[in-house]
Amino acid sequence: MAEEIKVFSDEYEEYLRDESRRSGSADRIVFAKSDADVSAALQEASQNNWPVTIQGARTGITAGAVPEGGLILNLSRMKSIGEIHDSRLTVQPGALLTEIRDAAEKEGLMFTPDPTETSASIGGMLACNASGACTFSYGPTRDWINSLCVVLANGETVRLERGVDKAAGQRFTVGTVTGELPDIAMPEVKSAAGYYVKEGMDLIDLFIGMEGTLGVVTEVELKLIPQPAAVNGLTAFFPDEEAALKFVRFLRESAAPPVAIEFFDFQALELLRRMKTENAAFAELPEMQSHFHTAIYFEFHGDDADALEEQVMEAAEMMMELGAGEDDCWFAGDAREIETLKKFRHSTPEAVNLLIDQRKKACPELTKLGTDMSVPDRELENVMRMYHDGLATAGLEHVIFGHIGNNHVHVNIIPRDMDEYAKGKALYLDWAEKVVAMGGSVSAEHGIGKIKVPFLKLMFGEDGIAEMKKLKELFDPQWILNQGNLF
Amino acid sequence: MNIVVCIKQVPDSDKVTIDRETNRLNRAGVPSIINPFDENALEMALQLKDKHGGKVTVISMGPPQAVEALRTALSHGADDAILISDRKFGGADTWATSYTISLAIKKLEVQPDIILFGKQAIDGDTAQVGPGVAHFLDLPMLTYAKAVEPTDAGFKVEKVTEDGYEIWEIDKPAAFTVVKEANQLRMPSLKKKMAAKKAEIPTWGFDDLNPIEENIGLAGSPTKVSKIFAPPVKLNKEILSGEPAEMITELIQKLKERNVL
Amino acid sequence: MSTTKEIWVFAEQRNGRIAGVVNELLSKAQELAEKSGFEVAAVLPASGCADLCQELFNYGAKKVYTLDDPKLADYQNDYYSRAIAALINDKKPEIVLYGATTIGRSLAPTVAVMVDAGLTADCTQLDYDTEGCNLLQTRPAFGGNIMATIICPDHRPQMATVRSNVFKKEKLGDSEAGETIEYPVDLSGVPERMRRIEVVHEDDNTIDLNAAQYIVSGGRGVGKPENFKIIYDLASELGAAVGASRATVDAGWISHHHQVGQTGKTVCPVVYVACGISGAIQHLAGMQSSDVIVAVNKDPDAPIFDVADFGLIGDLHVIVPEFQKQIAAFKA
Repeated sequence: MAEEIKVFSDEYEEYLRDESRRSGSADRIVFAKSDADVSAALQEASQNNWPVTIQGARTGITAGAVPEGGLILNLSRMKSIGEIHDSRLTVQPGALLTEIRDAAEKEGLMFTPDPTETSASIGGMLACNASGACTFSYGPTRDWINSLCVVLANGETVRLERGVDKAAGQRFTVGTVTGELPDIAMPEVKSAAGYYVKEGMDLIDLFIGMEGTLGVVTEVELKLIPQPAAVNGLTAFFPDEEAALKFVRFLRESAAPPVAIEFFDFQALELLRRMKTENAAFAELPEMQSHFHTAIYFEFHGDDADALEEQVMEAAEMMMELGAGEDDCWFAGDAREIETLKKFRHSTPEAVNLLIDQRKKACPELTKLGTDMSVPDRELENVMRMYHDGLATAGLEHVIFGHIGNNHVHVNIIPRDMDEYAKGKALYLDWAEKVVAMGGSVSAEHGIGKIKVPFLKLMFGEDGIAEMKKLKELFDPQWILNQGNLF
Repeated sequence: MNIVVCIKQVPDSDKVTIDRETNRLNRAGVPSIINPFDENALEMALQLKDKHGGKVTVISMGPPQAVEALRTALSHGADDAILISDRKFGGADTWATSYTISLAIKKLEVQPDIILFGKQAIDGDTAQVGPGVAHFLDLPMLTYAKAVEPTDAGFKVEKVTEDGYEIWEIDKPAAFTVVKEANQLRMPSLKKKMAAKKAEIPTWGFDDLNPIEENIGLAGSPTKVSKIFAPPVKLNKEILSGEPAEMITELIQKLKERNVL
Repeated sequence: MSTTKEIWVFAEQRNGRIAGVVNELLSKAQELAEKSGFEVAAVLPASGCADLCQELFNYGAKKVYTLDDPKLADYQNDYYSRAIAALINDKKPEIVLYGATTIGRSLAPTVAVMVDAGLTADCTQLDYDTEGCNLLQTRPAFGGNIMATIICPDHRPQMATVRSNVFKKEKLGDSEAGETIEYPVDLSGVPERMRRIEVVHEDDNTIDLNAAQYIVSGGRGVGKPENFKIIYDLASELGAAVGASRATVDAGWISHHHQVGQTGKTVCPVVYVACGISGAIQHLAGMQSSDVIVAVNKDPDAPIFDVADFGLIGDLHVIVPEFQKQIAAFKA
């Protein structure tokens, strides 16, 4: 018997929200435990014309899992993790990244996608093609999914495998659905904005990054790789941002680039310094000297510890050439030390969230404004200048941090009141236009969700959106799946 | 100021398990780390040195591979390291360990103004070696120190208690055990890491310390481990449902049975 | 080895009040006395302490050795260790037990090296082996991953520290008889090397989560900030610290100081009561090594039940006040 669809009541209140801190509404909720539950729920929704919002761990920050009425199809209980065979691991969508990592680690393997939030579910990661620091070298979630099962809006279950199920030119067939791929151009940068389309593509890729708008993924086969024998990490502190950006170029262009390059601007370091003194939860951060202005974290993976060390030494020489002192860095040579540096990285968004929560008390409508845009390599300095100029002119409190290896930094604007919030929003829109003009993406990893819908239009234009909608209609003619996401 | 920090290399206790057949510890593949509380002692030493000048010497007693813990301490900024290691020291309990470490400290060319320990080691959780060493060296000692500031005659110390803290004045030289809340160990810089890799770390053995033989190793240890066993398996969870009042009555009964109320 | 056939309990007092763990140890000592045939005695360092002896008799001490000296009014390691070591060296008891308090865990190791005794810290079980005539001292090690039984065959006394709440105290009566032995104290030769100059007691509301024996935590299921009152009420009845999930802290219902979990505090109390906490992995990481976990949640499938020893399915707004009520009755 299928899992019961329950009438929504207050006790499920938490399921109206995700990490975007936006809250929605719902009439019903079901906690699916199997493909059959999903299929039954979708058939019932389809018959009654209920909108369906799909949820995993609700750690997304674009409100993709926030319901707008109708049925919540929650997959967090569908979380089994199978056995590993031939470096392949099959999991259900509710399995959490941290659980998948543990399972892989036990076999000496790793699953490389590394969004900062490790309690994300694999279903959510797949829905927005999540990425993280190491995406710089290993690529986003998409590259590590080998096959999946998807339940379509009509209740039909389809299995798709990479390298096997492909489009013929623009024509495709998925189960009983056939049609033409949308005619849209993909950006040349890391992107999680809208559907992924390519002539002759692997059809599995249609469902990675589709944000739950084309079907419900109920099983995922992941690709794992052996853990590197040696891992080194280093956070280097520079006296100014210009030197730090030059260092990024050096790392990126070196013969053996690191697997991750991360950035922290002056404001981010200042915020962490402040939090360390004010808030016990941040007390464990390492002490930062006062002349540390901008930081770059980078990580090398390899099987030859000595070679790795040489690479790090080479980078350190360049670091000093660019004006950093010989002790202006934190070196991590083992897993525990790497963990300390990662915690430091994770603390930045946590600190911003905390600050926003404090301000919310005075002004409940406030939220943080976080950008997630990437640009091509050539535009790195330009986009950084654009951010700084805009923020300086508007006089907004902010921090900038993130995946600078992919020219993908997060600007987090921390408004003090609704006036500043409006200013920040305007600035964000202005940046989005410019980033699109630079050939970039309006969302590199968080997805579009409900919050960034106008940006998607900006990026693909009316025609592009119309093309995407045609695809959506082929799979979901009633438009019941994840209404409000993407469009 | 001359500062000595005593550190212990311990297995990362999160990852140690017991073989239920043989009742032996599974330590294979479990990484060794500096006892986390000793990191706080080390950081306190480094901060005292930063502020008041001086030298930080780290000492560890253990098998030859404990030298790695000392190297790590050097990479974080300690100036000198000494390993106390000898087969004859093996099997020492906290009594014999305290005695042996105190001999090594006595052997230092310059006697310390302050000796720091972590509040306890995570493998044994005994918290006994700090006070033991202090006694063998006839030094005044305070446990659970959160902050230590030098004064003319000695130190002013904030000592953590169950429900707050106390301020103490203590004469120099003195010994302290340091709590986690004191600080966070700084990260190593690359330069120090590389220097630590190449550092020569002397090993002091039986002949260097010239101990009374019946005070060291197994023979010098009053306590003996009589048996090691796996903790009782966590009882299967019990789900209670029904009337709240009955559920709670049952819960309180069960908690009493478990001896936790 | 000629010893006095006695089991001693260090009668720790602060400001003229006997620490609770002392009475627990006296009760345990009685049990050991029945097996071993030894006699239970307490050792009471203090200044003017005659009126504290009755309490010790009431919990099972047949004798109290008082060490009465102005310098012993409050714990000072040099004075305390010297006075107790002198008494031990003179009487040579079989066993000495200390509470594993901040005082006991500083004093006992010092005394142990002074009198060449073996010392076992933080015992969770004590038993007497009548064949080998040894105290069997069992304690966890490696973060609770293993248990070890320690004996001390060739040295006397055998010394151990024990945490509060490990053993149960049992009062024998209100006017039990016992012998008070005023033991002479001579600290004239001990230099004053340390002085306590200030004592600060922090507000009870900030009971340290890390040190708490009991923790009651609230999560999103509490519903709204005002409802945290029932969490506080239960906590105060249990003598517990109040914890919270990240969701409630993020929502601004309670201060960050209370957060348990990966980005908050890692705790391991004797009992952890999770109310309306679904059990996100961040939270579990911070509390799953608690000895006993009680989870109260409406949702029978909530992941918190995976780590719970006792799961109560139902409405916390009814269950938590009921819990408080019955604990109050239980205590009375």
